[in-house]
Amino acid sequence: MSIEEGARFVAAAYAVILAVLVLYYFISARRVNTLRRDVELLEQEVQRRQAGAGEAGGE
Amino acid sequence: MKQLVSAPALFVEAGICLIAGLLLAFLYAPIDVSSMGFSQKIFYYHAPIAETALVAFGIAFVAAIAYLRTQDLKWDRLGLVCVRLGLLFSLLVMITGMIWGKAAWGVWWAWEPRLTTFLLVCFLYIAYLVLRSVVEEEQRRATYAAVFAIIAFIDVPMTFFATRFLPEGLHPVVISAGGSGMEGSMLVSFLISMLGMTLLLVALIRRDLAVEDLKDRVADLKNTIGG
Repeated sequence: MSIEEGARFVAAAYAVILAVLVLYYFISARRVNTLRRDVELLEQEVQRRQAGAGEAGGE
Repeated sequence: MKQLVSAPALFVEAGICLIAGLLLAFLYAPIDVSSMGFSQKIFYYHAPIAETALVAFGIAFVAAIAYLRTQDLKWDRLGLVCVRLGLLFSLLVMITGMIWGKAAWGVWWAWEPRLTTFLLVCFLYIAYLVLRSVVEEEQRRATYAAVFAIIAFIDVPMTFFATRFLPEGLHPVVISAGGSGMEGSMLVSFLISMLGMTLLLVALIRRDLAVEDLKDRVADLKNTIGG
Protein backbone atom coordinates (compact mmCIF):
# COMPACT_ATOMS: atom_id res chain seq x y z
CA MET A 1 0.00 0.00 0.00
CA SER A 2 1.36 3.42 -0.95
CA ILE A 3 1.78 6.22 1.58
CA GLU A 4 -1.01 8.19 -0.14
CA GLU A 5 -3.44 5.28 0.18
CA GLY A 6 -2.44 4.66 3.81
CA ALA A 7 -2.75 8.36 4.59
CA ARG A 8 -6.40 8.31 3.48
CA PHE A 9 -7.23 5.55 5.98
CA VAL A 10 -5.23 7.28 8.72
CA ALA A 11 -6.96 10.61 8.07
CA ALA A 12 -10.38 8.93 8.19
CA ALA A 13 -9.58 7.19 11.50
CA TYR A 14 -8.27 10.34 13.20
CA ALA A 15 -11.16 12.41 11.84
CA VAL A 16 -13.67 9.99 13.40
CA ILE A 17 -11.85 9.94 16.75
CA LEU A 18 -11.45 13.70 17.01
CA ALA A 19 -15.00 14.42 15.79
CA VAL A 20 -16.60 12.03 18.32
CA LEU A 21 -14.46 13.15 21.26
CA VAL A 22 -14.83 16.87 20.56
CA LEU A 23 -18.60 16.46 20.03
CA TYR A 24 -18.97 14.52 23.29
CA TYR A 25 -16.93 17.16 25.12
CA PHE A 26 -19.18 19.99 23.96
CA ILE A 27 -22.42 18.05 24.49
CA SER A 28 -21.45 17.17 28.08
CA ALA A 29 -20.30 20.75 28.75
CA ARG A 30 -23.64 22.04 27.49
CA ARG A 31 -25.53 19.55 29.66
CA VAL A 32 -23.65 20.73 32.75
CA ASN A 33 -24.44 24.38 31.97
CA THR A 34 -28.12 23.64 31.28
CA LEU A 35 -28.51 21.61 34.47
CA ARG A 36 -26.73 24.28 36.56
CA ARG A 37 -29.15 26.88 35.21
CA ASP A 38 -32.10 24.58 35.99
CA VAL A 39 -30.85 24.10 39.56
CA GLU A 40 -30.47 27.86 40.02
CA LEU A 41 -33.98 28.56 38.72
CA LEU A 42 -35.51 25.79 40.83
CA GLU A 43 -33.68 26.98 43.95
CA GLN A 44 -34.97 30.49 43.35
CA GLU A 45 -38.50 29.10 42.97
CA VAL A 46 -38.19 27.10 46.20
CA GLN A 47 -36.94 30.19 48.06
CA ARG A 48 -39.75 32.30 46.58
CA ARG A 49 -42.37 29.76 47.71
CA GLN A 50 -40.83 29.44 51.16
CA ALA A 51 -40.82 33.23 51.52
CA GLY A 52 -44.46 33.32 50.33
CA ALA A 53 -45.45 30.62 52.83
CA GLY A 54 -43.60 32.49 55.60
CA GLU A 55 -45.46 35.70 54.81
CA ALA A 56 -48.80 33.87 54.68
CA GLY A 57 -48.03 32.24 58.05
CA GLY A 58 -47.12 35.63 59.52
CA GLU A 59 -50.49 37.11 58.59
CA MET B 1 -1.75 20.43 43.20
CA LYS B 2 -5.53 20.77 43.55
CA GLN B 3 -5.60 23.01 40.46
CA LEU B 4 -3.72 20.38 38.44
CA VAL B 5 -6.44 17.78 39.01
CA SER B 6 -9.46 20.09 38.67
CA ALA B 7 -11.81 19.09 35.85
CA PRO B 8 -10.88 21.96 33.44
CA ALA B 9 -7.16 21.41 34.10
CA LEU B 10 -7.52 17.69 33.33
CA PHE B 11 -9.11 18.51 29.96
CA VAL B 12 -6.26 20.90 29.14
CA GLU B 13 -3.61 18.36 30.23
CA ALA B 14 -5.33 15.61 28.22
CA GLY B 15 -5.51 17.89 25.17
CA ILE B 16 -1.81 18.78 25.43
CA CYS B 17 -0.79 15.11 25.72
CA LEU B 18 -3.05 14.04 22.84
CA ILE B 19 -1.80 16.79 20.52
CA ALA B 20 1.81 16.02 21.52
CA GLY B 21 1.23 12.30 20.95
CA LEU B 22 -0.25 12.99 17.54
CA LEU B 23 2.61 15.28 16.50
CA LEU B 24 5.19 12.76 17.71
CA ALA B 25 3.39 9.93 15.91
CA PHE B 26 3.56 11.76 12.58
CA LEU B 27 6.79 13.78 12.90
CA TYR B 28 9.02 11.71 15.20
CA ALA B 29 8.00 8.04 14.97
CA PRO B 30 9.12 6.34 11.75
CA ILE B 31 6.79 4.76 9.20
CA ASP B 32 6.31 1.09 9.98
CA VAL B 33 8.38 -1.13 7.71
CA SER B 34 6.03 -4.12 7.97
CA SER B 35 3.10 -4.78 5.64
CA MET B 36 1.02 -2.20 7.56
CA GLY B 37 3.05 0.72 6.22
CA PHE B 38 1.67 4.21 6.83
CA SER B 39 -1.68 2.88 8.10
CA GLN B 40 0.16 1.79 11.28
CA LYS B 41 -0.11 5.46 12.38
CA ILE B 42 -3.71 4.70 13.39
CA PHE B 43 -2.22 2.63 16.22
CA TYR B 44 -1.12 5.73 18.23
CA TYR B 45 -4.74 6.59 19.12
CA HIS B 46 -6.43 3.24 18.45
CA ALA B 47 -4.53 1.27 21.11
CA PRO B 48 -4.74 3.95 23.85
CA ILE B 49 -8.50 4.27 23.23
CA ALA B 50 -8.87 0.48 23.51
CA GLU B 51 -6.89 0.36 26.75
CA THR B 52 -8.88 3.30 28.12
CA ALA B 53 -12.20 1.59 27.29
CA LEU B 54 -11.08 -1.52 29.19
CA VAL B 55 -9.94 0.66 32.12
CA ALA B 56 -13.40 2.30 32.19
CA PHE B 57 -15.05 -1.14 32.36
CA GLY B 58 -12.55 -2.09 35.08
CA ILE B 59 -13.59 0.93 37.16
CA ALA B 60 -17.25 -0.03 36.61
CA PHE B 61 -16.40 -3.50 37.93
CA VAL B 62 -14.78 -2.07 41.08
CA ALA B 63 -17.70 0.34 41.54
CA ALA B 64 -20.15 -2.58 41.25
CA ILE B 65 -18.37 -4.48 44.03
CA ALA B 66 -18.24 -1.30 46.14
CA TYR B 67 -21.98 -0.77 45.63
CA LEU B 68 -22.87 -4.33 46.63
CA ARG B 69 -20.78 -3.94 49.79
CA THR B 70 -22.03 -0.49 50.82
CA GLN B 71 -25.40 -0.02 49.03
CA ASP B 72 -24.25 3.58 48.45
CA LEU B 73 -25.75 4.94 45.22
CA LYS B 74 -22.66 7.03 44.48
CA TRP B 75 -20.96 3.78 43.36
CA ASP B 76 -23.89 2.98 41.11
CA ARG B 77 -23.55 6.40 39.49
CA LEU B 78 -19.81 5.87 39.00
CA GLY B 79 -20.49 2.47 37.41
CA LEU B 80 -23.08 3.91 35.03
CA VAL B 81 -20.80 6.78 33.98
CA CYS B 82 -17.85 4.43 33.39
CA VAL B 83 -19.91 1.97 31.33
CA ARG B 84 -21.25 4.82 29.17
CA LEU B 85 -17.77 6.20 28.59
CA GLY B 86 -16.35 2.72 28.08
CA LEU B 87 -18.92 2.17 25.34
CA LEU B 88 -18.10 5.52 23.74
CA PHE B 89 -14.41 4.58 23.63
CA SER B 90 -15.30 1.06 22.44
CA LEU B 91 -17.30 2.53 19.56
CA LEU B 92 -14.20 4.49 18.54
CA VAL B 93 -12.04 1.36 18.84
CA MET B 94 -14.40 -0.59 16.61
CA ILE B 95 -14.61 2.13 13.94
CA THR B 96 -10.87 2.87 13.86
CA GLY B 97 -10.11 -0.86 14.05
CA MET B 98 -12.29 -1.51 11.01
CA ILE B 99 -10.58 1.29 9.08
CA TRP B 100 -7.16 -0.06 10.06
CA GLY B 101 -8.26 -3.62 9.28
CA LYS B 102 -9.31 -2.59 5.78
CA ALA B 103 -5.97 -0.87 5.23
CA ALA B 104 -3.75 -3.60 6.73
CA TRP B 105 -5.64 -6.84 6.09
CA GLY B 106 -7.90 -5.80 3.20
CA VAL B 107 -11.10 -6.59 5.15
CA TRP B 108 -13.34 -4.42 7.32
CA TRP B 109 -13.99 -7.21 9.80
CA ALA B 110 -12.55 -10.63 10.67
CA TRP B 111 -13.99 -13.10 13.17
CA GLU B 112 -10.74 -13.51 15.04
CA PRO B 113 -10.33 -13.73 18.87
CA ARG B 114 -9.53 -10.10 19.76
CA LEU B 115 -12.20 -8.55 17.56
CA THR B 116 -14.86 -11.08 18.49
CA THR B 117 -14.30 -10.80 22.24
CA PHE B 118 -14.24 -6.99 21.99
CA LEU B 119 -17.55 -7.03 20.11
CA LEU B 120 -18.94 -9.27 22.84
CA VAL B 121 -17.79 -6.74 25.46
CA CYS B 122 -19.73 -4.03 23.61
CA PHE B 123 -22.91 -6.13 23.46
CA LEU B 124 -22.63 -7.03 27.15
CA TYR B 125 -22.35 -3.41 28.23
CA ILE B 126 -25.15 -2.34 25.88
CA ALA B 127 -27.24 -5.01 27.66
CA TYR B 128 -26.17 -3.38 30.97
CA LEU B 129 -27.73 -0.08 29.84
CA VAL B 130 -30.86 -1.87 28.59
CA LEU B 131 -31.18 -3.62 31.95
CA ARG B 132 -30.96 -0.30 33.77
CA SER B 133 -33.66 1.21 31.59
CA VAL B 134 -36.22 -1.52 32.39
CA VAL B 135 -35.93 -1.50 36.21
CA GLU B 136 -37.81 1.39 37.84
CA GLU B 137 -36.94 1.16 41.52
CA GLU B 138 -33.57 2.83 42.22
CA GLN B 139 -31.97 0.42 44.72
CA ARG B 140 -33.15 -2.67 42.85
CA ARG B 141 -31.86 -1.23 39.55
CA ALA B 142 -28.48 -0.48 41.14
CA THR B 143 -28.22 -4.02 42.57
CA TYR B 144 -29.12 -5.72 39.27
CA ALA B 145 -26.76 -3.41 37.38
CA ALA B 146 -23.90 -4.12 39.81
CA VAL B 147 -24.33 -7.89 39.51
CA PHE B 148 -24.51 -7.60 35.71
CA ALA B 149 -21.41 -5.35 35.59
CA ILE B 150 -19.44 -7.96 37.56
CA ILE B 151 -20.52 -10.75 35.19
CA ALA B 152 -19.89 -8.63 32.08
CA PHE B 153 -16.38 -7.79 33.25
CA ILE B 154 -15.35 -11.46 32.86
CA ASP B 155 -15.06 -10.79 29.11
CA VAL B 156 -12.66 -7.83 29.57
CA PRO B 157 -9.53 -9.82 30.55
CA MET B 158 -10.51 -12.36 27.88
CA THR B 159 -10.34 -9.55 25.32
CA PHE B 160 -7.01 -8.32 26.65
CA PHE B 161 -5.40 -11.76 26.66
CA ALA B 162 -7.10 -13.07 23.49
CA THR B 163 -4.17 -12.19 21.23
CA ARG B 164 -1.65 -13.45 23.77
CA PHE B 165 -3.20 -16.88 24.33
CA LEU B 166 -4.51 -17.33 20.79
CA PRO B 167 -1.72 -15.87 18.64
CA GLU B 168 -3.08 -17.31 15.39
CA GLY B 169 -5.43 -14.31 15.00
CA LEU B 170 -4.79 -11.34 12.72
CA HIS B 171 -4.55 -8.77 15.53
CA PRO B 172 -0.92 -8.14 16.56
CA VAL B 173 0.34 -8.23 20.18
CA VAL B 174 1.99 -4.87 20.77
CA ILE B 175 3.01 -5.01 24.41
CA SER B 176 3.79 -8.38 25.93
CA ALA B 177 5.80 -9.72 28.85
CA GLY B 178 8.85 -9.77 26.59
CA GLY B 179 8.68 -6.02 25.87
CA SER B 180 6.87 -3.59 23.62
CA GLY B 181 8.30 -4.72 20.29
CA MET B 182 8.35 -1.06 19.28
CA GLU B 183 11.14 1.32 18.47
CA GLY B 184 11.92 3.90 21.17
CA SER B 185 10.35 6.80 19.25
CA MET B 186 7.19 4.77 18.59
CA LEU B 187 6.93 3.79 22.24
CA VAL B 188 7.31 7.41 23.42
CA SER B 189 4.56 8.56 21.01
CA PHE B 190 2.31 5.71 22.13
CA LEU B 191 2.86 6.33 25.86
CA ILE B 192 2.15 10.05 25.57
CA SER B 193 -1.08 9.33 23.66
CA MET B 194 -1.94 6.72 26.29
CA LEU B 195 -1.43 9.27 29.08
CA GLY B 196 -3.60 11.76 27.18
CA MET B 197 -6.44 9.27 26.72
CA THR B 198 -6.30 8.26 30.38
CA LEU B 199 -6.43 11.89 31.50
CA LEU B 200 -9.34 12.46 29.10
CA LEU B 201 -11.20 9.50 30.60
CA VAL B 202 -10.67 10.83 34.15
CA ALA B 203 -11.85 14.31 33.09
CA LEU B 204 -14.94 12.90 31.35
CA ILE B 205 -15.77 10.67 34.35
CA ARG B 206 -15.62 13.71 36.63
CA ARG B 207 -17.79 15.78 34.32
CA ASP B 208 -20.36 13.00 33.81
CA LEU B 209 -20.54 12.46 37.57
CA ALA B 210 -21.24 16.18 37.93
CA VAL B 211 -24.06 15.77 35.37
CA GLU B 212 -25.55 12.88 37.36
CA ASP B 213 -25.33 14.89 40.61
CA LEU B 214 -27.01 17.87 38.98
CA LYS B 215 -29.78 15.64 37.59
CA ASP B 216 -30.42 14.32 41.10
CA ARG B 217 -30.47 17.86 42.48
CA VAL B 218 -32.99 18.94 39.82
CA ALA B 219 -35.21 15.93 40.65
CA ASP B 220 -35.03 16.74 44.39
CA LEU B 221 -35.93 20.39 43.82
CA LYS B 222 -38.83 19.43 41.53
CA ASN B 223 -40.11 17.08 44.24
CA THR B 224 -39.83 19.89 46.78
CA ILE B 225 -41.83 22.25 44.58
CA GLY B 226 -44.32 19.54 43.62
CA GLY B 227 -44.81 18.52 47.27
